[in-house]
Amino acid sequence: MRIQDHPIITYEKGKKVKFFFEGKEVEGYEDEPIAVALYARGYFELSKSLKYKRPRGIFCCIGNCSSCLMKVDDQLNVRTCTRQVREGMKVELQKWGK
Amino acid sequence: MKNKAQVVIIGGGVIGCAIAYELAKRKVKDIVLLEKNSLASGATGRCGAGVRQQWGTEMNLKLSIGSVKRFEILQEELEYPYDLEFEQTGYFMPAYTEKQVEQFKINIALQRQFGLDVQWVQPDEARSIVPIINTHGLLAATFHQKDGHLNPFHVNFAYARAAQRLGVDIHCHTKVLGISTEKDSIKKVSTDKGDIACEIVVNAAGGWSQSIGEMVGINIPTYSERHQILITEPYEPLFKPMVMSFYHNFYTQQEPNGAIIMGIGDPNEMKGYNMEHSLAFAKKCSSLVTRVLPPLKNARMIRQWSGLYNMSPDKTPIIGEASTLNGFYMACGFSGHGFMIAPMTSVLIAQMITKEELDIPEVKTKLDLDRFERGELFIEPSVV
Repeated sequence: MRIQDHPIITYEKGKKVKFFFEGKEVEGYEDEPIAVALYARGYFELSKSLKYKRPRGIFCCIGNCSSCLMKVDDQLNVRTCTRQVREGMKVELQKWGK
Repeated sequence: MKNKAQVVIIGGGVIGCAIAYELAKRKVKDIVLLEKNSLASGATGRCGAGVRQQWGTEMNLKLSIGSVKRFEILQEELEYPYDLEFEQTGYFMPAYTEKQVEQFKINIALQRQFGLDVQWVQPDEARSIVPIINTHGLLAATFHQKDGHLNPFHVNFAYARAAQRLGVDIHCHTKVLGISTEKDSIKKVSTDKGDIACEIVVNAAGGWSQSIGEMVGINIPTYSERHQILITEPYEPLFKPMVMSFYHNFYTQQEPNGAIIMGIGDPNEMKGYNMEHSLAFAKKCSSLVTRVLPPLKNARMIRQWSGLYNMSPDKTPIIGEASTLNGFYMACGFSGHGFMIAPMTSVLIAQMITKEELDIPEVKTKLDLDRFERGELFIEPSVV
């Protein structure tokens, strides 16, 4: 399912591009949020909860709640619900300790 | 509240609660602990949580090594249901001047005599211990794996709960208003909830220890000094040890949950009880720390706070009984490292009160209050 509407943010949808999620090539639309592109491909788990390391996915969708923090082009803790997709970008899950 | 007690402890930080426990463990009855706010609300709950054994004097080595031994078994002994989060991820102490290198060489020799396995680290080896360090200007470093950190709230509560189980009365939100004495002994402690007759008082009031001294007419030369600290949002593991630079005057550590905590000392800080926090600190601290650990420049800070160091003139604690007032014990003036030596401090105070032989007998003659009058300041070369 692709998230299309948001109460306060308009999702842009540019041309189809390829980027990398955990080393695998995936498709998305330029300018849409990374989290939205991943969600549409069926990747729901974006990060882990702080204490018990339980799966966390899209929640607030406005760059506030820290549920979608991922590593993007080697930058840590990127809010992927507001960071836009770019051709060839490298998106990774963060490696938490125990 | 009881109107009579054998021992009244003033202060519900880690020092006061640990002393309460150690006394109760030694079968002392009728112990009352008074805390004007809530447990761990002072310096304990605001501290950097580090525990190090890399000291430069025999006294501090004995206090810290003994304390780490206690920390290692504390959760079991106190029967505490939660993890104290004790992680021995080490302290990494970089040297940037020839003078520091020389001092560290002297320190490491002494530390090794005490059986500590402290490593001498060359600049090109530094990254194997702290992968994100910028080695520019680094001359050498020392690293000790068995140093570490633990959760100060849990430690404080663990001691408090264990003490309560052994019968200690803990009264929070109870303020000590005065202490009555007669000749050279204590008669009672007055609080805003009533008076308690007692002959033994332990001053574990941290940042307020000097005011407790005033109540009995003893001039404790301690004073309080604000120290600020900040924390970032959690990041995946970037570095394990506490990095503590005497040259930059900062310490920083990544906590078990991934948040990075950091603080610097400010030589221009004024004496007093100010616990506000400043943007100037946040800017200075982050710029210094990111110079040494550059990848942290992208880290987002989420919070800052401050707490009081209870400073003594020689930056070394006062542990012992007053010579002019029987039964007035002091455990104060820790100058920023009370948490890490709380276990040994509490054992020593309990041993003094119960007239047992002390684990570290020279504490009596070296860390007493009168050393300042005698002019025998205790000089520790390894303090921030």
